[in-house]
Amino acid sequence: MAQSTVPMFSAQTFAKLSPHPYMLANLKPSDPSRPSQRTNGRQPKQSRTLQVNTSSLTHANGSAMVRLGDTTVICAVRAESLPVTEIPNYRPASSTGPPLDEIASYDLLVPNIELATGSAPEFLPGVPPTALAQTLSTRLYSLLLSSGMVQVDDLRIWEKSEDDNDDNMEDGDGDGDQELGTVPETPGRTLRGYWALFIDVTFASYDGNPFDAAWIAVLAALHNMKLPRAWWDADMEMVVCSPEGSEFQKLHLEGFPVSCTAAVVTERDHAEHSVGKYWVLTDPDRREEKLCDESICMVVDCSRRGDTKILNLSKAGGCELDKALINEFRQTAENRWQDCRAALE
Amino acid sequence: MADRRRINGPVGVTSPPVYANHTPGKAQKDTVQQRPDNTLRQIFLKTGITPSASGSAYLEVTGPSTNGPSGLKLNCTVHGPRSLAKSTPFTPYTTLTTHVKYAPFATRQRRGYLRDSSEKDLGVHLETALRGVIIADRWPKSGVDIIVTVLEGDQPREVFKGTPDEGIDAMNVLSGCITVASAAIADAGIDCVDMVAGGVAALVASEEDKGEPRFVLDPAPSEHDKILAGCCVAYLPSRDEITNLWYKGQTSGNDTLLYTQLVEKAVQASRGANKVLVDTLKEGVTEAGKQSKGSMEVDR
Repeated sequence: MAQSTVPMFSAQTFAKLSPHPYMLANLKPSDPSRPSQRTNGRQPKQSRTLQVNTSSLTHANGSAMVRLGDTTVICAVRAESLPVTEIPNYRPASSTGPPLDEIASYDLLVPNIELATGSAPEFLPGVPPTALAQTLSTRLYSLLLSSGMVQVDDLRIWEKSEDDNDDNMEDGDGDGDQELGTVPETPGRTLRGYWALFIDVTFASYDGNPFDAAWIAVLAALHNMKLPRAWWDADMEMVVCSPEGSEFQKLHLEGFPVSCTAAVVTERDHAEHSVGKYWVLTDPDRREEKLCDESICMVVDCSRRGDTKILNLSKAGGCELDKALINEFRQTAENRWQDCRAALE
Repeated sequence: MADRRRINGPVGVTSPPVYANHTPGKAQKDTVQQRPDNTLRQIFLKTGITPSASGSAYLEVTGPSTNGPSGLKLNCTVHGPRSLAKSTPFTPYTTLTTHVKYAPFATRQRRGYLRDSSEKDLGVHLETALRGVIIADRWPKSGVDIIVTVLEGDQPREVFKGTPDEGIDAMNVLSGCITVASAAIADAGIDCVDMVAGGVAALVASEEDKGEPRFVLDPAPSEHDKILAGCCVAYLPSRDEITNLWYKGQTSGNDTLLYTQLVEKAVQASRGANKVLVDTLKEGVTEAGKQSKGSMEVDR
C-alpha cells in the first residue's frame, strides 16, 4: 500500500479519496523510525483535550458545557417536584414487600439527548430522534441507574413540621403536625414528594465520541447542581421551596464514574471473518468512527485509590478480547479518569 | 400519547419549584435600567463553533446587569448549499429552510422536544428576514438549512418588575436569531446582497417618568414597568432596506409618527448589531488568515 503513494496528491486529498488505506498507512508507517499515528495527528491512545465549564445557564439547577476536541455538549439539569399523589403506583416505604428502588420505579431521572441541532450534517432537525440518539439516551439512563450515583435521599421531599426549622432536613426529630388519616413512615415526618431531575443534553457540535462527552457533561452538571430546601405545604397542597441561597444544597453523589470509548480499526476494510492486525483508537473523532465497525467502551471509577471499579464494559465487533487487551484498555480508561477528574475540579 | 423515542419521565404532573414568601423587592435593585435609552446591551458573537457544519455562529447578549442573569444565548448552524432530494421538483433558486428550536432548559417553563407554534412562527419570521438577503439564483436546485437553537431565551421571573411580556421576549429572540443566522451564513460563504442584522426597539412607560412614554433600544422586559409597543426589524444597512418587520403593541392608530419613530429606533438598534457582526467577521477572516499562514510554515 505504501509504495503506491502517488506524489501528485497532497496528503489531504489522499485522506479524502481513500480514507481507510490512508489511516492504515499512518498507523503502520513504512519507515519504522516514525511512530504509529492517527490521521488526526494523535497517538492511538491519546484522547482530545477536555474543557468543562459549569453553571452558565440561568434556568437550570445545574449545567455544564463540555468540549472534547470539536465535540461540544451542553447539559442542563432541572429539578421539578413530583408529589406522591401524582405517582400512580406509589407505595410507602413502610409497607410490606421488598425494598423499592424509588429512583427507577418512579422515573425520577429523565435523561434525554438531542443530536438534531445541526450538530453535524447528518443530524438535521424536524425528524424524530435517530437510532443513535435513542441508543445514547438509553445508555445514559442505564448508566445513571446502575452506577447508583444519585442518592434517593437527596430527592425526597418531606412534610414540613413545626419544629423543623433546621437547615438540615435529614434529621428526623420533631413530631410534626401530621394530617389526619396519614400514616407516618418514620415518627415525625411524612414523605410527600420527590424531585424529578430532567437531564437534557444538547449537542452543539458533533465530532465523534458522543457518549463520553455526554456522560462527562451529565457528571459535571450533577456535581454542579444545587437543590433548594423544599417541604410540603399542607395548606397550599403543594411543594414549596426556600428562596434563601444559603439553603440550596448540593447532591451527595456516590462515586465518580467516567466512561472511555475507543474505536477498533482492522487492517482490512470491512473484515468479515478473519481479522488481521488491529488498532485501538481512544476517543475517536467523526471520521474515524465512520471507518471503524467496532467499538469498545469501559466505565471505570477510581475514586478509591488503588482500586478500580469497572462499572460497565461493552464491546461490539469481531476482534478477540483477551485478558491482555482488557488490562491494557483498563489502563487507558484509568488515565482518562484522571484527566476527567482534573478537568472537573 | 407518550413519545416512545424519548425517555419521558414520571407519568404524574411535575411542577417547577415554587418559592415561599417570594419578595420581588430585593431583586428590583438589580433591574433598574443601568444604560441610556439609546444603547444596546453587550453582544458577544463568534463564528465557526461547529466545524462539521458549513457555517456556524454563537451569539450571547448580556443581561441587564453584567453580573446578573444573562439575556440570550443562541447557537446557529448552517448546512449547505447542498443538493436536494431527487424527488423534489426543479427549482432555479436556493430553497431556504429555517428551524428555530428552544432547548428544554431555555425558558422558565421547561420546553418539550417537539416544536410548538411559537417556535414555528419564529422560524417563519426568520425565513422572511433571510430570504431577501441570500442571492438565491446563485445556487439553483440546492437547499440551505439554517438551524437556530435557543439555549437561553428569557429572563427568570424573579427579576421582573411588572408582568413578564412574552412578546418582547420573542422579539428579542428573533432579532438575535437574525443576527446570528446572518453571521453563520457569512461563515458558510453563501452569497448575500448585504449583511442583515436584527434590531428591537420599544415604547415604554414607567412610574419614574410619570407615565410619559419614551423609546428604548434593545429593551430588556425586566427593566420596565409597562411596554406599550415593540418593533423588531431585519435591516440591511448598505441598501437601506427592511426585509422583515414585526410590530406589536397598543398605540393610537392616528399617530403614524409614533409608529415610524419606533421603526426608526429599531433600525438604529439593528445598525448597532450590524457593527458587531461586521467586526466579528473581520476578526474571523484575519484569524483564519493567520492560521493558514501558520500551517504553511509548519509544512515547510
